[in-house]
Amino acid sequence: MATITIDGKKIEFKSGQTIIQAAKDNGINIPHFCWHPKLSISGNCRVCLVEVAKMPKLVIACATLAADGMVVFTNSEKAVNARNAVMEFILINHPLDCPICDEAGECKLQEYAYDYSVGESRFKEEKQHKEKRVPLGPNVMFDGERCISCSRCIRFCDEIVKEPQLTFVQRGDRVTIVTYPGKELDNDYSLNVTDICPVGALTNRDFRFKSRVWEMSTTKSVCTGCSRGCNSDIWVRNNLILRITPRENEKVNSYWMCDHGRLNTFKNINQLETRINGAFIKEGLSHVPTEWESAYRKAANELKKYAKDEIAFIGSPFATNEDNYLLAKIAKNFGVSNLDFMRHENPAFGDDILKRNDITPNSFGAELAGIRPGKNGFALSEIIQKINDGKIKVVYLLEDDIAESNPEAAEAFAKLKLLIVHSVNFNKTTDLAHIIFGAAAYAEKNGTMINFEGRVQRIRPAVALATPDKSLDGQKLSRQDKFGTEYDSWAQKNIKDALPSWTILMNVAKELDFRLKYNIAEDIFLEMSKNIDALNGLNYNILGELGVPVKDSINQPLAKAL
Amino acid sequence: MEKIVLPEIKDYHLIDVYIKNGGYESAKKAFTFSTDEIIDQVKKSGLRGRGGAAFLAGLKWSFMPKSSDKPKYLCINGDESEPGSFKDRQIFEYNPHQLIEGILITAYAIQANTCYIYIRGEYHKWIKLLQKALDDAYSNGLVGEKMKDTFGIGFCTNIYIHKGAGAYICGEESSLMNSIEGQRGYPRVKPPFPAQNGLWGCPTTINNVETITNVPPIIKNGWEWFSKIGEPKHPGTILYGLSGHINKPGIYELPSGTLLTDLIYKYGGGVPGDKKVLCVIPGGSSMPPLRGDQIEGVKMDAESLKAYGTAIGTGGVIVMDEDTDLVKILARIAKFYYHESCGQCTPCREGTGWMLKILNRLVSGEGSVKDLDLLVSVANNIEGNTICALGEAAAWPVKFMITRFRDYFEKRVSSENILPVRNKVHSMRNTAISIDTEQN
Repeated sequence: MATITIDGKKIEFKSGQTIIQAAKDNGINIPHFCWHPKLSISGNCRVCLVEVAKMPKLVIACATLAADGMVVFTNSEKAVNARNAVMEFILINHPLDCPICDEAGECKLQEYAYDYSVGESRFKEEKQHKEKRVPLGPNVMFDGERCISCSRCIRFCDEIVKEPQLTFVQRGDRVTIVTYPGKELDNDYSLNVTDICPVGALTNRDFRFKSRVWEMSTTKSVCTGCSRGCNSDIWVRNNLILRITPRENEKVNSYWMCDHGRLNTFKNINQLETRINGAFIKEGLSHVPTEWESAYRKAANELKKYAKDEIAFIGSPFATNEDNYLLAKIAKNFGVSNLDFMRHENPAFGDDILKRNDITPNSFGAELAGIRPGKNGFALSEIIQKINDGKIKVVYLLEDDIAESNPEAAEAFAKLKLLIVHSVNFNKTTDLAHIIFGAAAYAEKNGTMINFEGRVQRIRPAVALATPDKSLDGQKLSRQDKFGTEYDSWAQKNIKDALPSWTILMNVAKELDFRLKYNIAEDIFLEMSKNIDALNGLNYNILGELGVPVKDSINQPLAKAL
Repeated sequence: MEKIVLPEIKDYHLIDVYIKNGGYESAKKAFTFSTDEIIDQVKKSGLRGRGGAAFLAGLKWSFMPKSSDKPKYLCINGDESEPGSFKDRQIFEYNPHQLIEGILITAYAIQANTCYIYIRGEYHKWIKLLQKALDDAYSNGLVGEKMKDTFGIGFCTNIYIHKGAGAYICGEESSLMNSIEGQRGYPRVKPPFPAQNGLWGCPTTINNVETITNVPPIIKNGWEWFSKIGEPKHPGTILYGLSGHINKPGIYELPSGTLLTDLIYKYGGGVPGDKKVLCVIPGGSSMPPLRGDQIEGVKMDAESLKAYGTAIGTGGVIVMDEDTDLVKILARIAKFYYHESCGQCTPCREGTGWMLKILNRLVSGEGSVKDLDLLVSVANNIEGNTICALGEAAAWPVKFMITRFRDYFEKRVSSENILPVRNKVHSMRNTAISIDTEQN
């Protein structure tokens, strides 16, 4: 295979690769601002200038094709001088307002200024002034002075979203970015420009000024906005989720995620007013807080009062595989065969980039975990019918606001004798419920979900609950474990008393005289991997950070899928 | 002295007069040759580009792929925006048909069926004049589909005039192509070069107006004739543009290698008031200037000027007498490149503004010796680090003016740096939306 040498290190490259790509694939970082692996090459920032033996001028690593035997120096005197020069040029008109800039701490310019620049400027003139705080659209704010004109945002809109909304105007150091006349930066993926902006020129209007980035913990998770399952990072401070950013996974979402997933999948988790803290039992017209133990007992005792065919269990495409599996297992053990979950399809939601019409994160997993009618059991539409007929009197429902999304079901649920609901927030369905259990949200628990392509991916607790997760890596990355103890004042705030659905289910089962012994979510997953062919041989460690595809039950050995 | 590009024939710009004097005969002759033969002849003639870089025209044509499933294009660069250059407009006005004939021959040589003449928007008058000539050529069946019958060949080409919108950068060949495509006038990263990936991704050749106007006489009289005119390494005549402190400014067509002193004193009538020459820029404002005491014996052609540390550029000679304020001149030149920097790549975008700000200080007497070193350093940091040659164009005048006139500049600055840092805190500035609104 053809090789090039970068700073004395010989590396292989694929034909057609540029120097910077070959370097990146081999773990060598050549500094760059404008280059992005998923965008066209613009070559404008000039910070990747490197020296190549036998070439008279320095070349930009982002646009120069690697050739067999090429010898590249990123730290020769010429290359260093050019890089310092470019860094000085970029910084002369940059406002250097890092202390009040949201990007500080994750700013490429800041990092390179530490790593590659001489540390002082010879510029004594007044800086070029430009527009500041320009709302480019509903989600993105622009600061013209911080902008280094790398054109990443423009190329992103043109090439990835294919909705050209941004452009340069003016010339020279007056160059700035505007939206086309009469247009806004308003597309389904607009917030990605704030991620790829190497400086603080484009900021997330929802997040700006909420926190310094180094004060937050990050936890690797998966977006629950639709069945794509975009890999994400959850950013938490004081036990509140402040933002969600995409995490690179070439098999799922590349570097991107949609604005919907980024903005609408965490606010309900923070919302103290609507969160269900603990368990509630309906007394008269209102829900009264109850001890967990007495709620379990009440639920079990009530369930025992009805014939098995008068009961329906409803799983959830929002819940994890583990939660759904346990519900199915209990249903089977208890003898309930009316078992199903509700699909949420929104034909207006999907597109050909990331968004899918199935707006739930785990319908694949719910099905795989066994949420389907048992022998002589009924599916959801029939269950609703039977409730209206008075044949089914009890519903046990997992994490899904069915009353909100299905008015027919809402009407039917109102007729139930007993409705037991696990839910993160109070909603239309909990309004109708007789017993409510406060369920942990996806950002508060361990578990797995399977995206529409059959990729099993992990979620992890980013936010601490009153009852800590017992798994070793339970809150590994949360600020509490990273920087302090649970006695720190900021660790005492915003603690919700909710439990993962599988824990609640296990406790209810115990009262039904069905003893289950799972310490952590992975215990359930390991059992699933034994019983479900598609998950055969998997564990959380194998799933890792990027997930793995489920095994094709017919011919694909798992080893290949890995 | 024979004039090749601007013959002194009355009403030569009219098609009848041009044809009467043997016009379009060269094209007829060229079409009897193979395309390789034409490229070979132009190569052998030694014709070099007149747009600034003095690249061998025939060699450039030979870069075009012989076979391509894509259309090929020819662009004629008449953007002529370099301060001190005003030669192409003489051709548009006085010899448009020779340009059109040259285009026909070149298009045939590289097999381009579409040609664009890119003319700066400020040349309203000359765009009209050339359009008139082009219309006449069309109606005489010399261009377009009809030329097949007229010349009895299977080849034809269409010529369009494209009007620029007022950006110097669009004279840079890849920006010029972007501009024709309707894109923002930004230079492209090279490689790929235009011959591989030009207009709309197709093979493209870009030549200067004067270069192409030289082609018909070369075909007519043969390459040997042309190669013997002027300096052997840069043969032919050059349209020298004299401006500045000169008694008879204007365009002079003279053999390459004409002495700079002859240009100034013999043809240009010397300096008004018989003042001494302080500084001469030999090839348009971006070329390194020469000191007045350096110009004796300097020949005006690409190779000779290179030996003197400058370049022929567009042949626009700017003469400055001993009373010229070089600091002001340099600040003005820097302002031009600051104004015209497209802003795409960092060194030029930021550096041109920085140099101008320092020079403006120098003009107002607030400069120091350190500033001179800083200017040279900034210029060096721009040079060679940019996407296109405007980086050099902006850096060279500053770098060479200061190094070659160091004594002059040192007299104009103080020896100490007296400057406070000028940056203002901008938290109090008017902003697009008030902070109150933002918090809500």
